[in-house]
Amino acid sequence: MSGLWTIYRRELAGLFFAPLAWILLCLSLLYNAFFFLLYLKSSGGRVDAALEQTLGGAWPFWILALFLPPLITMRMISEESRSGMLEFVLTAPVSDAAVVLGKACAATTFLSLLWACVPVYGLALHVLGAPPDWGQVATGYLGAVLVSALFSAMGLTASALTGTPILAAFLAMLANVAATILPLASGAIRDIAPTTVDWLTERINVIGTFQSSFLTGALDSAHLAFFVIWTAIFLFAATRLIEARRWWG
Amino acid sequence: MIEVQNLTRRFGPFVAVNDVSFSVGRGEVVGFLGPNGAGKTTTMRMLTGYLPPTSGSVRIGGHDVVRDSMAVRRTIGYLPEAVPLYREHRIEEMLAFQGRLHGMERSAIARRTDEILERVGLAERRRSPIASLSKGMRQRVGLAVAILPDPEVLILDEPTSGLDPVQRVEVRELIGEIAKERTVLVSSHILPEVEAVAQRVVILHRGEIAADGTREELVAELGGGAAVRVEAMVQDPEEAKRLLGSLPGVTEVRDQGRLGIHHTFEVASADDLREDVGALAASRGWPLRELSWKRPSLEELFSRIALDLGDAAPAPAAAPAADAPDAPAAPKLEVSLGVSQPEPAAKPAPTDEPKRQVYNLNPFELGGQRDLGEPKDACDE
Repeated sequence: MSGLWTIYRRELAGLFFAPLAWILLCLSLLYNAFFFLLYLKSSGGRVDAALEQTLGGAWPFWILALFLPPLITMRMISEESRSGMLEFVLTAPVSDAAVVLGKACAATTFLSLLWACVPVYGLALHVLGAPPDWGQVATGYLGAVLVSALFSAMGLTASALTGTPILAAFLAMLANVAATILPLASGAIRDIAPTTVDWLTERINVIGTFQSSFLTGALDSAHLAFFVIWTAIFLFAATRLIEARRWWG
Repeated sequence: MIEVQNLTRRFGPFVAVNDVSFSVGRGEVVGFLGPNGAGKTTTMRMLTGYLPPTSGSVRIGGHDVVRDSMAVRRTIGYLPEAVPLYREHRIEEMLAFQGRLHGMERSAIARRTDEILERVGLAERRRSPIASLSKGMRQRVGLAVAILPDPEVLILDEPTSGLDPVQRVEVRELIGEIAKERTVLVSSHILPEVEAVAQRVVILHRGEIAADGTREELVAELGGGAAVRVEAMVQDPEEAKRLLGSLPGVTEVRDQGRLGIHHTFEVASADDLREDVGALAASRGWPLRELSWKRPSLEELFSRIALDLGDAAPAPAAAPAADAPDAPAAPKLEVSLGVSQPEPAAKPAPTDEPKRQVYNLNPFELGGQRDLGEPKDACDE
């Protein structure tokens, strides 16, 4: 457990010691602020609607949510396996699972920091005299963190799969897009095998799960479990891939 | 401390390490030697538990590397060839990371960090970012990281590769010092590196152990090829060859042919017979031009192994004691190491050297009348 904490701290420090994290953070905050103002204007000053759209109700959120985590996680395993750092960490008295979990937590923390700008907008509006529905903001934020955790886990799996960070990022982006697009486009391919497609979309419908509960402020344990289980599956896969790396040499 | 039994590792059809067994006692410093690709790194990775072996077992400090991996990881300090350091961190942060990974207390980390940075000579640079350090310094930081948790066993993979000669000596001295109180396995493809720190050398070749022993044992075991080279003006080469061959301890005389008026012979023997050959030449009145002793260094033996084991090992030199009881005792072979060498970490206890018999060195005293079959003890004179 202390190993997990050590790895987590190291990864977070590693992220913030590199300029990439700061640049991504800065650009993403600008991006979020731009869209928030846009939503605020277009919704005619309806605070809750604007916050909802910033936090997952509209596609700009999903662009960040799909493309940012792979950029954060791409180096975490693939580059370390190249530079020999992975060998160091895996011969230290820490379990493989703690290494993967520590890295996933670090990536999730970074993305949580990014989404934290939305409650800050809410706070600003509150101070200015337009209090938002804080319960809804809180569940929306929790949902955004869970989405980030899931995509970070997918990113780590991709990173464990290849020794090239850029390829890892690209693989993770493809996987993220495919997983989120499929439920949206399921109507087009439903004719092929209706039951299978329905079964599949129900189980990988990230956007639907997120929007139907977290975003509306209704916390559903089944939807919570959806994210936790998928994240766990990918973390497990990443751990196994690291183990497989030992066998490949 | 380290017990390796029938260790084998395959990568697909390629056998990287084949049935390797050896053991290292507590406090012993063992050099792991072999050309590139001999399986040194693979073996070391299996010792650390990073690579699972295909078959065979490794026990470190009584713990099985596969079954009891965590206990082994706490026992060993490992420095891989590519020194693992986070470039964006400062030296002290890297050390703190290692300390926390090993579950050390904050105060213990601080104390050990001071102690170790002093030892590796980086105390003033402790706040320098690792990216700004030279390669030699990084190597020292790597060593500091490896020894921070005070491991009982140190496994160092090519700790001096890629360093300039000055840094090499520095790192080597550092290892020698660290090795004083630990069990150390250090690998290299450069012999002097290993010789400088290790009493015992294990030579790997194509994934198998080609030799294992102290350097004296190795020279004796793999040896042969030592010879006295004599270049002189002789009347009758055949006669000269016969006479040279009659010297005690000589295994073979090779006629190297004539150059100008001089004839060259190589008198093969396990021992340095320069005095004998010189005395013979003096007694026969051969004007000498060259008289030299060519001995195989461990380096040569190693490169022979590296090139090919099969035709490398020449017929082992006839054991002088067995063939000629009164032959001069084997001289201790000093392997010349080139650059200034630090003292080996621990010298093997000096064995009591037997009294050395030599021929009388003054050719004018007894000269040609002397019976060459009878060695004369110089100490008797």
